[in-house]
Amino acid sequence: MSHSHSTSGHVQRLTPLDKTGLGDIGASLQLGLGILGAGCLALGLLIGLNGWMGVSEDFFWRSYLVSFCFVLAISLGGLFFVFVQHLTRAGWSVVVRRPAELLASNLRWIWALWIIPFGWLWFRGKAGLLWPWADPATMKNNNIAEWHLIEKKIGYFSLFGLFDGDFFWARAIAYFAIWAFLAHVFLNRSLRLGATGDRNNIAFMQKFAAPAAILFALSVTFASFDWIMSLSPAWFSTMFGVYFFCGCATAGFAGLILLCVRLQSVGALTHAITTEHYQDMGKLLFAFGMVFWAYIGFSQYMLIWYANVPEETTWFLARQVGGWGPFSLVLLFGHFIIPFIGFISRWPKRMPLVLSLGAIWMLAFAWLDLYWLIMPRIPHDLTQFERFSEAFAEFSDTSTHFFTPINFILLAGMVGLFGFCTLRSCRAYPLVCERDPRLGESLHFENM
Amino acid sequence: MPTTVTAERTVTEMSSTIAHPNTAGHTHGESAGAKSRPYGLIAEFDTPGALMHAAERVKSEGFRYWDACTPFPVHGLDKAMGIKRTILPVIVFFAGAGGTTAAFVLQAFTNSTNWSTHAPDWLPMLDVTGYPFLISGKPLLSLPAFIPVMFELTILFAALTTVFGMFLMNGLPQLYHPLFASRRFARVTNDRFFIVVEARDPKFLRGKTEAFLKSLNPIAVEAIDE
Repeated sequence: MSHSHSTSGHVQRLTPLDKTGLGDIGASLQLGLGILGAGCLALGLLIGLNGWMGVSEDFFWRSYLVSFCFVLAISLGGLFFVFVQHLTRAGWSVVVRRPAELLASNLRWIWALWIIPFGWLWFRGKAGLLWPWADPATMKNNNIAEWHLIEKKIGYFSLFGLFDGDFFWARAIAYFAIWAFLAHVFLNRSLRLGATGDRNNIAFMQKFAAPAAILFALSVTFASFDWIMSLSPAWFSTMFGVYFFCGCATAGFAGLILLCVRLQSVGALTHAITTEHYQDMGKLLFAFGMVFWAYIGFSQYMLIWYANVPEETTWFLARQVGGWGPFSLVLLFGHFIIPFIGFISRWPKRMPLVLSLGAIWMLAFAWLDLYWLIMPRIPHDLTQFERFSEAFAEFSDTSTHFFTPINFILLAGMVGLFGFCTLRSCRAYPLVCERDPRLGESLHFENM
Repeated sequence: MPTTVTAERTVTEMSSTIAHPNTAGHTHGESAGAKSRPYGLIAEFDTPGALMHAAERVKSEGFRYWDACTPFPVHGLDKAMGIKRTILPVIVFFAGAGGTTAAFVLQAFTNSTNWSTHAPDWLPMLDVTGYPFLISGKPLLSLPAFIPVMFELTILFAALTTVFGMFLMNGLPQLYHPLFASRRFARVTNDRFFIVVEARDPKFLRGKTEAFLKSLNPIAVEAIDE
């Protein structure tokens, strides 16, 4: 059992499926996911835009943004996983790198789910429903004090004088271009390495990973400022980008674990991915999804709690009144305390079934976390109260509207489309990074 | 002193002579002039693979007090030797939880109560009194303010327990070990792999164990005295 990383030694551990992709396997599942996705999105649009089932249009757009950010987070998490492996020249992860590359490659089309609906929203002049700053006239009417705060930073959204939010749009297009480009480069170079065996590709990816990391960090940070933080434009937190990144890592690692388990269940990568790889992916999920999330979430909360400045505290106050109070506690326990205790040991990470249950749990809470970030609206008169208890009593009947069906219809729509495209990639591309110089090391990898 | 020794008997004698000056200060309840007790036998291998096979044989032979020594970590050796996982992580978990609790109790007591605890009369300086002090209008018992300290003490207790627990459980620090006396064994930090069977093992019989070790096809077998 000495470490002979010869190229002949590990070939037997790869099945034909690993080298060709799933092919015909999964065709019907892919079709089913596509129909589910397209059908649910269409149904969601019909309900939301016609106001059926008591869904208001602004609620619909927020709910849409929650589920969009959820599938975006899974893809961005996959991209993060890929470039970190190149950045650290990791050997263990080569057998799970292709599934991560395939998750990330969804970034090549995901822009359509943002640009088309929100472009249409802008075109109809209704962007203010979702992002209040996009409708300055209404803002001035509703809350003049808040408008004075936002007036100072309106240039961040509208710079060129073309329309309200022109700079916001220019940045959004830049983010999508960066993500699609990065995901494309990593998948493409990896495929070329497999096809030709030219090791310049791996050298290139390792060099490229460093600027990719910088571009990724900046684009994810500013995208979360633009799309999520600016829903409450008077509020600000420099921690916010990291918080959203943490959500991306949670969703990405959980998605990667589930994808690996799923691929193995249909006979792919069966001898390539072992308990050892699951344990390491479990460690990453534990570190980023549970510990880091709590660390960042608390760091953001504590400074605002301590400083006690009204324009900062209202954001959290809006998440403590009415149904949001229990919701925040559910998030704290479900995203951190329960899975932290559950997955601190070695054994649950080494059992793919237990680990995939944990991954489903964490995906659910990653979505809940986005719901918690995006859905609450800060009432205009929240700052008029002298005491916490008065505001608390006044808004005690605020509902989270969590169980409104539209939330789950849109989630099913997004996840359906995402599953459709991911499965399509899994059928078309080899599932293992063939001829990677560290493939042998990865196949024989063992935790100490 | 000969630099290369091939005859096993000579090796035994040599390691005894080297061991003696070192063990003189080492208390074993023996008088300084008495003949040393045997520590055990070592078998030398030149590949990790050979060591792994040997380890499996030693394990199935039912020895309890034995070890494998290698220049670098060998994957799968723990399994081949049948070593159980350490319980250190469990101890560390409870130490960490203890740190969390200690930090909370400390802060809650000192910052939000005015209780006094009275030390025994002979320790008058240790009277401790809580000092409730209002900071930026927060409630005296404010969990968010306590969390950074709780976090830090969790890490501190867990980290210290990990390091010192590891030291204790490994019997470290250990400044002398009988194996250090063997010149042959010095190559364990370079390119050789050893199996050590200790004499205190109930199954250890000088001649029989030596024959067994030789059957594992080692490069050499050597007896080590304490």
